Amino acid sequence: MAVAIAVRVRLFARLREQAGFEAERIEVAQGSTLADVYATLRRTHPALEPDRNAVRGALNQEFSDWDAIVAQGDEVAFIPPVSGGR
Amino acid sequence: MRYDLTTGPIDPREMEAAVAHPAAGAICTFSGTVRDNSRGQSVTHLDYEAYAEMAVPQMRKIGDEIKQRWPGARVAMAHRTGHLEIGDVSVIVCVSAPHREEAFAACKWGIDTLKESVPIWKKEHASDGTFWIEGHDAKPTLG
Repeated sequence: MAVAIAVRVRLFARLREQAGFEAERIEVAQGSTLADVYATLRRTHPALEPDRNAVRGALNQEFSDWDAIVAQGDEVAFIPPVSGGR
Repeated sequence: MRYDLTTGPIDPREMEAAVAHPAAGAICTFSGTVRDNSRGQSVTHLDYEAYAEMAVPQMRKIGDEIKQRWPGARVAMAHRTGHLEIGDVSVIVCVSAPHREEAFAACKWGIDTLKESVPIWKKEHASDGTFWIEGHDAKPTLG
């Protein structure tokens, strides 16, 4: 890893249960995307949902695309689809 | 405008009071309540979990958009988290507007959008197990 930055990752609901944590500080390379952060997490927590289509990313409390670049100190959340209902 | 996320009971009348004003001729309130059945199974209770720091701003965004789409509308929303029993009110969307047509339309749009974009999850405790409800899917819990 060239230059590392730290982000705070938060997980909710089923993803939180799969990974076994609610919030964790993780290090990724500078220039990493949300997709890179999720891939890093899946390496350390293999039980985490493998299908990224079943996950949404949020960056600093806003829904965000997988190719969004994260910065030092950002809050990154991975969340399952919300409750829905009709 | 009022946007609440709370572990305590939510009161529709209190939300209506928050949107009532002299130029409003209509107040439309949607109350979502906990059903005793789901997917053909009986349900004993629910647990709701929220990403609170994001859920409240998302509710505020929906309220702001309602005010743009339906001029003169005022909005209040509340969602409960934690343990809920059958019959408890889990969510309220309340809209006041000059006339009923806008109040109904804005309230429906508000609850539909809340269900899609506010990060709150439902864990259903049912006769066939415990499930996270994700859109149309029910996925078994681990814990």
